Amino acid sequence: MNSLRYILALSVLSATNAFAGIADHVVRTKIAGVDVIAYPTAVKDVVTIYGSLPAGDAFAGEQHPDVATLTGMMLDKGTSTADKFAIAQQLESVGATISFNVGAQTLGVRAKCLRKDTPTILRLIVEQLRRPAFPAAEFEKAKRQLAGALQRSLEDTDSRAAEAFARAVYPAGHPNRPATTQEMLSALDHTELEDVKAFYAKYYGPAHFTLVIVGDLDLPKIQSQLRRDLAGWKGGVDALRQARAGTAGGAREEKVAMADKTSVSIVLGQASGLRYADADSIPLRVGAAVLGSGFTGRLMQIVRDREGLTYGIGAYLDNDTFTDGDWRVSGSFAPQLLDKGIASTRRELERWWRDGITADELAARKTDLIGSYKVSLATTDGMASVMLRFIQRGKPLSWLDDYPKAVAAVTLEQVNGAIHKYLNPDKMVLVEAGTLPAAK
Amino acid sequence: MKLSAVVALGLLGGALASWPAAAAAAPAPVAGFSYVKSLGGIDEYHLDANGLDVLLLEDHSAPVVTFMVTYHVGSRNEVTGTTGATHLLEHLMFKGSPNYNDARGNSIKQYLERIGGDYNANTWLDRTAYFAEVGSEYLEGYMAIEADRMRNLWLREQDRRPEMTVVRNEFEIGENDPVQALDKEIFAAAFEAHPYHHPTIGWRSDIEKVPIEKLRAFYDTFYWPDNATVSVIGDFKPASALGLIRKYYGVYPKAPHAIPQVYTEEPAQTGPRRVTVRRAGELGVVGISYKSPAATNADMAALDVLGSILSSGKTSRFYRALTDRNLTTNVTADAGFFHDPSLFQIYAYLAPGATHEQVEKVLRDEVSRVVKDGVTDAEVAMAASKISATIAYARDGTANVAASINEWIAAGDWTRYVTFPQDVRKVTAADVLRVARAYLVADQSTTGWFVPVEAKVESK
Repeated sequence: MNSLRYILALSVLSATNAFAGIADHVVRTKIAGVDVIAYPTAVKDVVTIYGSLPAGDAFAGEQHPDVATLTGMMLDKGTSTADKFAIAQQLESVGATISFNVGAQTLGVRAKCLRKDTPTILRLIVEQLRRPAFPAAEFEKAKRQLAGALQRSLEDTDSRAAEAFARAVYPAGHPNRPATTQEMLSALDHTELEDVKAFYAKYYGPAHFTLVIVGDLDLPKIQSQLRRDLAGWKGGVDALRQARAGTAGGAREEKVAMADKTSVSIVLGQASGLRYADADSIPLRVGAAVLGSGFTGRLMQIVRDREGLTYGIGAYLDNDTFTDGDWRVSGSFAPQLLDKGIASTRRELERWWRDGITADELAARKTDLIGSYKVSLATTDGMASVMLRFIQRGKPLSWLDDYPKAVAAVTLEQVNGAIHKYLNPDKMVLVEAGTLPAAK
Repeated sequence: MKLSAVVALGLLGGALASWPAAAAAAPAPVAGFSYVKSLGGIDEYHLDANGLDVLLLEDHSAPVVTFMVTYHVGSRNEVTGTTGATHLLEHLMFKGSPNYNDARGNSIKQYLERIGGDYNANTWLDRTAYFAEVGSEYLEGYMAIEADRMRNLWLREQDRRPEMTVVRNEFEIGENDPVQALDKEIFAAAFEAHPYHHPTIGWRSDIEKVPIEKLRAFYDTFYWPDNATVSVIGDFKPASALGLIRKYYGVYPKAPHAIPQVYTEEPAQTGPRRVTVRRAGELGVVGISYKSPAATNADMAALDVLGSILSSGKTSRFYRALTDRNLTTNVTADAGFFHDPSLFQIYAYLAPGATHEQVEKVLRDEVSRVVKDGVTDAEVAMAASKISATIAYARDGTANVAASINEWIAAGDWTRYVTFPQDVRKVTAADVLRVARAYLVADQSTTGWFVPVEAKVESK
């Protein structure tokens, strides 16, 4: 079956120019349970790889909130056949990179290499995922490294504001509700290597692993390498797609006081109750873009350009890939302009919510979203990240071509209806992180 | 900001090496332009009407084009009282002109966001750049607005007032990061006379108080076609693009004055210098910077290789000596690629429990080892491979290519975008030893510590 699909795919590729759609050129195969997406482009010699499997922090549990991150950190610390320096030698000698990162729901992998090295890099990705050695000495180092990263995040106003916001709008047990940085730091004292091994055994596997490969591809070599390396791998779980948490619980303010900071980060928003795949998601995204996208979004145009209150402010939907997510305004204000900045932001938010957007705004933002989407696909990184994101969101490959059409079809009534249906400025949470004015 | 530039310049590491060293024949002549030269697929012209420099690089792999104008003015052209003026002016360039503005609905922001262009501008030590990646069919629309603001900008006090606080908030956001604060202090200590002394964002009081008249004078001094390079990269036809450039830029005369040149040279440093930043924070940082040559100096290829050997990846010397021993969470080492001599900078981010003294000692021991014993052929080969790979990575997308070429334009010689990679591949272990001994000199160093102090406020 795979071979047949592969031959058909090759014939499609040979006639690339005859097809207008992106999806027509994608080669999608299941290899040992892994969803492999290959997309050849005209770039010379560059290959970019994005992948993910569900093994993020949301799977960690309360007792060991650090275990998913530690497991991800151990992947490049050696395998059953090569220690970390031997792997690094193989990668660095050809200028290739592989990195793993752990998010709320997934372990992510990103790699970049030259065409000739692609089979080697794929082999190393799979080997690190399938056969991590978990050396005890490296585990102790990983814990120290994680402690350092967590401590540094405590210095960052944006991170502190984002963490406080997520904990304010998502209930306990929701995959988007993170452990606090302090909880993560405390957990490092009692999480053991055996906990990491158990986590790995329970969650890692090919069943929901997606691998996107974009660029100057030698498809036969890539396919045969993956068939060889992935054969016999078992396991894996689906992402957490539990019942919705609902929307805002009620307005409140959270203050994260930090010393010696000259700019305050703010987040103002609420749980949206929406997933990306929901019908109202695109209209609400378009509406959010009118308020808070780019330099012509209302917030940048008014709060920044006209009133001079901030360097940057925007509004967007987030964290809605696997579950219902949130809607937020993020921005920064000098402490002495914080009150004024928040008042202006609330004023524009309420006007947007109350009066909706105009037909002119809708028309301009639709062409912006469609145009910028096309520009974003002009690099292998852009194409790979878009493909992986769409697949994670449960969209078919045809969405690559249908997304611009869906944006173009959005009506004013849909946008303004969605704003009212899912959002309520009176019930939003405001978080301020930084050196806050004494008067507040 | 300098740190991020170092990262960006890493992409330059050897771009376009697979291209021919020189074009076999000159492109077809286009009326109104003098052909200058071709190298690595890039054709250079001068617009006869005013001396505007033009670079064209065709790449039809995607239906997009990046258009960029680089003005040869950066924070090195500023003096006391106008620090940050180049950057503030860059912001005001988005405030409109009589022809293109928000009220008319055709401002640069409105146009580019209507078509989904990926656009921005940035200012650095040696240059100011304005750029957008757009669908190929929008090249003319963008170029018309970009060319208009070269000479027709409003530059009004009513725009400066709110924009000043915007830029001040940008300054404040930078100051939130203790490492950026440390980097400013290291540069300020390392350069006493040369204008690399002050940060591109400027000193806070200058940002707040520079009058609109001085910004106008700055604009009228430096924003002229003979002080600019325009680059067109991507999906376009050369004759057509040159025609558009002639149409929109050919209307301007040359500057009515000679463009002022920076003549201040940094006096020789005669001993090591130290700075300390003490602020609320969690973990310390040690930075050691050494005086290094200008980007176009022949030693820069070997210095680039040296930086890679010291800090790139798990095989690097600093990773093995520091990060793998739980003394740091990360270490970087990069040569600064700028128009004038700048700094080879090492930054070590302390791991929990490590002391500044410990980490600085290991850094100095490793520097001493490389100065005494040099590096191996294998280390040089690996560094060259990493740089060769980034050659290809840097060609992925017209905006990436533009960003890389931009820095070589600013450094004073765009052809180094093509030839620098070739130089990297010729670097030998002997070259690395020679430059290590020439530049990693204690008396030419400035060492900085970020020392976190306990917060005076408690989080809720």
